[in-house]
Amino acid sequence: MNGLRLVLLVALQALFLGEVAPFGEWSRPQWALWALLMLPPQLGPFTKLLAGFSMGLGLDIALGSYGHHMVAGTILGGALPTIHSLFSPRDGYEVTNKPTVRDLGTQWVIGVTLSAALLYHLALTLVDTWHAHLLGAAIWPALTSAVWTTFCCLLMHLLVIPPGRKNSSL
Amino acid sequence: MRNLWLLLQRNAFFLAFAGLLVLSLMVLVQNDGSARSSWFRTTGGVAAMVEGQQQQWANYLRLAEQNSDLAAQNAELREQLLSMRTSSEWQTAPDLGWKVKNGWLVKAPDGQPRSMALGTPGANGDIRIESGVLAFGSAFGSVVDLGQEHVRILPLLNTAGTWSCRLGQNGAVAPLTWDGRDPKRFSLNDVPRYAQFQAGDTVFTSGFDLKFPEGISVGTVIEEGPASGSEFKTVYVAPLLDLTSVRHIEFIRHISDSERTVLSQPLPAP
Repeated sequence: MNGLRLVLLVALQALFLGEVAPFGEWSRPQWALWALLMLPPQLGPFTKLLAGFSMGLGLDIALGSYGHHMVAGTILGGALPTIHSLFSPRDGYEVTNKPTVRDLGTQWVIGVTLSAALLYHLALTLVDTWHAHLLGAAIWPALTSAVWTTFCCLLMHLLVIPPGRKNSSL
Repeated sequence: MRNLWLLLQRNAFFLAFAGLLVLSLMVLVQNDGSARSSWFRTTGGVAAMVEGQQQQWANYLRLAEQNSDLAAQNAELREQLLSMRTSSEWQTAPDLGWKVKNGWLVKAPDGQPRSMALGTPGANGDIRIESGVLAFGSAFGSVVDLGQEHVRILPLLNTAGTWSCRLGQNGAVAPLTWDGRDPKRFSLNDVPRYAQFQAGDTVFTSGFDLKFPEGISVGTVIEEGPASGSEFKTVYVAPLLDLTSVRHIEFIRHISDSERTVLSQPLPAP
């Protein structure tokens, strides 16, 4: 299910959703992140790392941006276990916990999504820009885009898995 | 081997992360021109730094070899110096009308008011009394006494000497003396009050004392001293070289030295 969701989101972003940017460069969303963030937090770190790498690889193939999303996806995949442990409940995650508002709360979902989006967009900006003297100007659009991506992911969350539902169909 | 395997197992996640990141970066660098140029620039800078460091180390390790080369060069220069000392001849510059001969100081002035310098060769080297003496192209003194192998030289650094000098190439002519106190400060006395100059101007020999040609540098103006009378002033001059540490000198004599000496004598009283 998680793999299918990842492929679907990558395809949707590449074909339609990537253009949903009302403020141009200042709000460039990364919808595929939602698929990565829907991975259960109890999963092993290797799975998360491979999922991040695969998502980046898929985006690069679909968008023709060789290597850019792979680097950002690998960094996010590598950091995801740490992000999950930072936001983990006091007693740790239960086996049945899913990364939803109903199971882990709004605060958890927003915190994890915003952290992951910030990391991904900053990494992406770094490899897009490359030159240190251009980085200063590129950092602000990256931050606002991260906020926009967070908003999009939350929207997707509410549309697909409303807080009242126990399980999602996707 | 087992420990290595355990170490790899313990850091497997980090190694996998690093491996995937390197793979991603390789794809990126291979396909993105901007990234590639930045990569090459960064690695080029690092390589240059490493090479520079290597060069520094190589130089350090070759220090003994360089010392040996320098010692050989030093020996060669000493040999040249010795040959200069032993085979010195008068060399004539016909256009200037002066001839020059290399010599050596056996004893340099020590900075005392009345100290003399001792040089070689003497009469055997065809040196004559009143010949001018240069050091590094600057006026040093004049021969006052003659032996077979040595000469006594009255240096500028002696209170008994008076040297005819000129302020600049075409300025006023005035006598230069030393008061016996500061070896780095001479006095140009009786400079006409109208003379224009400023600190740093060069003082040359005037040639009027017949010991030096005109235009030999002597020193540079330090400052204006107290006025000596209403029409004249004193100018302080710093010598161009440290006269107490001179070793190599040049004796200088005019081609028509004898004639000039005779004709410059005062007329006999009628």
